[in-house]
Amino acid sequence: MKKVVCILTALLLSAGGLMLSSCQRASGEWHGDRKLIILGIDGMDPQLLTRFMQEGKMPNFARLAQQGSFRQLTTSIPPQSPVAWSNMITGMNAGGHGIFDFIHRDPKTLDLYFSASRVEPPKHAIHLGSWVIPLGGGSADQLRQGQAFWQILDQHHIPNSVFRIPSNFPPVAAKGNTLSGMGTPDLRGTYGTFSFYTDDPTAAAGAVEGGQIIPVQVENSQVTAQLIGPDNTFRKGSPPATEPFTVSVDPMEAVARIAVQDQEFVLREGEWSGWIPVEFQLIPFFGNVKGMCRFYLKQAHPRFQLYVSPINIDPANPALPISTPSSYSRDLAEEIGEFYTQGISEDTKALSDGVLDDKEFLEQSRTVLAEHRAIFDAEFPKFQKGVFFFYFSSLDLNSHMLWRLTDPKHPEFDASAAAQYGTALEDFYQQIDQVLGRVLPKVDERTTLLVLSDHGFAPYYRSFNLNTWLLNNGYITLKAAPSADNNQPFANVDWSHTRAYGLGLNGLYVNQRGREKEGTVQAGAEAAALLREIREKLLALRDPQNGLPVITRVDLASEVYQGPYAREGPDALVGYNRGYRAGWKTILGDFPTEVLEDNTNPWSGDHCMDYTLVPGVLLSNRKIPMEAPALTDMAPTILAEFGIPKAKGMIGESVFQPVRAAR
Amino acid sequence: MPFVLTQPPPAAALGVFLPNSPLAIVIVLSLVVGLLMVLLFGYTSNQKAIKVAKDQLKAHLLAVRLYQDQLPVVLRTYGRIILGTGRYIRLAFMPLLYVIIPITLLIVQVDRYLGSVPMQTAQPFLVTVQTAPDTLNGVSLQLPAEMSISAPAVHVPADNEVVWRVVAQKDGEYDINVLSGGQTYSKTVVVAGDVSRLSPERMRDRFWERIFVSGEPALPDSSPIESIAVTYLPRNINFAWLEWNWIVLFFVLSMVAGFIFKEVLGIEI
Repeated sequence: MKKVVCILTALLLSAGGLMLSSCQRASGEWHGDRKLIILGIDGMDPQLLTRFMQEGKMPNFARLAQQGSFRQLTTSIPPQSPVAWSNMITGMNAGGHGIFDFIHRDPKTLDLYFSASRVEPPKHAIHLGSWVIPLGGGSADQLRQGQAFWQILDQHHIPNSVFRIPSNFPPVAAKGNTLSGMGTPDLRGTYGTFSFYTDDPTAAAGAVEGGQIIPVQVENSQVTAQLIGPDNTFRKGSPPATEPFTVSVDPMEAVARIAVQDQEFVLREGEWSGWIPVEFQLIPFFGNVKGMCRFYLKQAHPRFQLYVSPINIDPANPALPISTPSSYSRDLAEEIGEFYTQGISEDTKALSDGVLDDKEFLEQSRTVLAEHRAIFDAEFPKFQKGVFFFYFSSLDLNSHMLWRLTDPKHPEFDASAAAQYGTALEDFYQQIDQVLGRVLPKVDERTTLLVLSDHGFAPYYRSFNLNTWLLNNGYITLKAAPSADNNQPFANVDWSHTRAYGLGLNGLYVNQRGREKEGTVQAGAEAAALLREIREKLLALRDPQNGLPVITRVDLASEVYQGPYAREGPDALVGYNRGYRAGWKTILGDFPTEVLEDNTNPWSGDHCMDYTLVPGVLLSNRKIPMEAPALTDMAPTILAEFGIPKAKGMIGESVFQPVRAAR
Repeated sequence: MPFVLTQPPPAAALGVFLPNSPLAIVIVLSLVVGLLMVLLFGYTSNQKAIKVAKDQLKAHLLAVRLYQDQLPVVLRTYGRIILGTGRYIRLAFMPLLYVIIPITLLIVQVDRYLGSVPMQTAQPFLVTVQTAPDTLNGVSLQLPAEMSISAPAVHVPADNEVVWRVVAQKDGEYDINVLSGGQTYSKTVVVAGDVSRLSPERMRDRFWERIFVSGEPALPDSSPIESIAVTYLPRNINFAWLEWNWIVLFFVLSMVAGFIFKEVLGIEI
């Protein structure tokens, strides 16, 4: 009898379990067959796209534009990639998602930090001699607020994959495969720090923007140096962890053997290595961090010159979270090989610093796109239903660096370089066209295709130093004259006599009482009057070189932002005229002598301007009735494709609705 | 009798019962070795004495629990546990020695197959020749038609080495020739997609080093060449969501197999 009761109980429990699991399946699965494919092409410019289509160089885009729709897409305020992609991801503007610029400041300390994420060591630790024993783990936090569209899709059980989308590091929890994109740091926690080893005595040793020049000596045809890794928070003062490597240069030939840990490889002059895994020891035998880097032997003789890429997070052994599920990056690396994980993969700083030349930068940049295409080629065929998003960075970063080769009016235009590499940007556009060519055959009547860019592009001829202008016009007061030696942001500023300051690429802040550490301007009417006054003066500015207005609009945060974070960013957004942008030094709180100066940096194209002058593109296989679609319409559009109403706080509408609802 | 593998097993011998999967090879090898270890241990050990030693240890452990409130008894029992453990180790030592020696030799041989992966076509690899200092510039490399040099040789005076970067176009087992002082010295290179017997280095007759590193005849002592090495990449085996060195995986799996077989065969370990 007891046996029978046991058997019956077991049967009942099994049946209950089966019913429960089938109920969960019923409520946890989506049975639709709709497909939404989104290609996010950072920096694709409507003017360039139109020209290339007309010239027959982008046949797939031309076909899509002809059979479907091609619209300009209103970008974000300001039109910077982290802000723009956050608009796209959340359907909100910066007031809703809290990303206003690449760089934010803590108003109480005026310390600067990257806007999209924060990687922090453990808060508490025990100090033992030169060692630091952490009590608890560190953290990597994403600072973008608001729900991402794929999180809402997850809630409705719509399958989705999101690859390399910016402003998603560390990736938010997701059911599908996601891989973080722009905003992902290198292993040192920066947007990318290269190393350049040379025995050239004329090279200025030390830190340069985006890298480090490291002097070495060639002795008996050998160079011994250190790879610089992440800060070792287990050591007092957190010095960077280092790993030695040896380069043996052939005494006669332009070739060298490089030995790193237990790996050896040979490079000829002008050759790149593949990805070399490197393990940095933080605590002997216990705490190691894995990364990877690429080597480029720029010159073997007469001067030794070796470039080492930023140490990237190794996707096969990620030291920080870069994918969901966390094992996904490893699976992908196994399938296609290692790939750049740092968000801004193209080493623009190495080109700006003269460490790489145009040819070398292009080689590196083409490798980046080849890797992205390899990921796309591996993942796109797996897509069956739901949402597939893939992001390409190449047009943006190459437009920044190669614009000068296409524009004879640019101060950095070089006719011989233009003759050699003048079509390189066009080639990148054509590669994106090839990607679209792989997508189009998969688009059927159940599929919606969206191809979009976050902003367009414009030349960057002249730099405007906003902080110098504020200083010259009495809005900033210094305790002493600006010093070239002091690289600290806002060094020597007398905050008790300062009323406004510029920070970031478009930000203008009031030194507000109660908010800034030594605020002088009362919030409300006084601050509003000050902003109006500065706006009028800025809009009246003319470039003495050509009489053109330098700034064509200044938007007040109170007028353009909605949402809980609307007051946490800049008080006004400076919109530069086409051809103008904030100078490199002013954006980090420095005071160059000139207010306006020629841009002689290879970084020659830009978009951090008046947002109305640099719209992005939106193409679809379906007709887009909306007159002026914007990035904030994208998340509502994606949700509407699956019958999901837009989430609270989203300010856009589906672009497939004929009339924009009143906001 | 100790199990000694005097001749390296040809790849085909391993392939008789297995597909060319390193994981399958390790699993089968672990099962077989686990069984043989237990049998060998049972055959070479004094099973009766081991059983008595283990029973006594269990009794002493029980005594510690039963008389935990009588300190002199507990202390005396601890002493007996230490003595009993020593007795058990002494009884197990000789049989373990019989087991360890053949397994070490087996691992050395199998490592030639599973320790590294063969070269892949189109994947560059390095050929490193260590030579006498005065002959550094007189060394050259001759390759079969299926291979090519993809960079000039790197002469490293500090290490008395010459390094070539080589690429193979086709799978196969090749002899590459190093020429020095009018003599030719060859070295085998395997380019394959599956498990093959590999020898990363050919060297002069340094006995112990050769046992663990080289699977090729020694270079003549009169040769100006100290060694010829190629860089086979180490092999990792995916098992249970982890990447394993085959020796570690073999150790774990053969231990598990051994404990299972010991129960089945009733052998005291």
